[in-house]
Amino acid sequence: MANAGKNYEIPPRDGFTVAHFLTVTDVDRSARFYEKVFGGRIVTRGNSIGAPAFVQIANTWLILYFGGGPTPDKPTVTLSVPADPNMVSSFMNIRVADIQACYDLWRSRGAEFLTEPKDKPGETCCYLRDPDGYLIEVGQNKPGVTYG
Amino acid sequence: MSEVHVEQKTYEMPPKEGITIAHFLTVADVDRSLQFYSKVFGGRILSKGDTIGAPGYLQIANTWLIVNPGGGPTPDKPTVVLSVPPDPNKVSSFMNIRVADIQACYTLWKERGAEFITEPKPKYGETRCYIRDPDGYIIEVGQSNPDITYG
Repeated sequence: MANAGKNYEIPPRDGFTVAHFLTVTDVDRSARFYEKVFGGRIVTRGNSIGAPAFVQIANTWLILYFGGGPTPDKPTVTLSVPADPNMVSSFMNIRVADIQACYDLWRSRGAEFLTEPKDKPGETCCYLRDPDGYLIEVGQNKPGVTYG
Repeated sequence: MSEVHVEQKTYEMPPKEGITIAHFLTVADVDRSLQFYSKVFGGRILSKGDTIGAPGYLQIANTWLIVNPGGGPTPDKPTVVLSVPPDPNKVSSFMNIRVADIQACYTLWKERGAEFITEPKPKYGETRCYIRDPDGYIIEVGQSNPDITYG
């Protein structure tokens, strides 16, 4: 593949690197949650005049910041924490090698799971909520399921 | 199996150890979304999905996108309904693409069919602009100013 061997970093020196932005109520609370539960690395805590927090987790980065009204580069868009945590369109999906171990460890660190891991076609799956109510999927592929 | 290297470590999908993070999008048309992310960003389609539960899977830079139709509650999330964005102007989370050369990305991705809300604009510490994907999701494209080294 074209990018085999490429080392991704933020900010990127060439090409691009994909991160995940979350509108949050309390930047510090969210940064500490992702650090504590998943072993994320807080790269910067941000500030109140425009710099968001960055937390590196595994192969990606979370960018955490407050909500707000339209800006010149998105004149019709308003950012807010999830209005209804049960109506969801997109979410972070954590693929794991050992779901039972992750469930036990992350729960012991304070993660609130909706249910224990459940058997589904092709995978075993459970979900947790972050402090703002964002849904996070945790899933382990069954042996032989190699897509992705 | 596919893998990426991030900050000198290797992450595989599916992981043989530890964790690897993907981004799930509820979409109206799995194939349309796969084509969009593959064409605009050079993503690599790993699975086109099927109608009995396997989602579309696409590798894009250091992460993976999982695209699947919406649906009602399942036993592992008994209160949650998945749908495409009901109001594309009310947003909570989104994919954020950090780039080395925003003008080059803007020009290339526009030429490949991406619809940008505006051209790149200077903001605090960065220059950025936004794309809408076929379901109306916003995608931020941002280049940090040279003196900004965080994240």
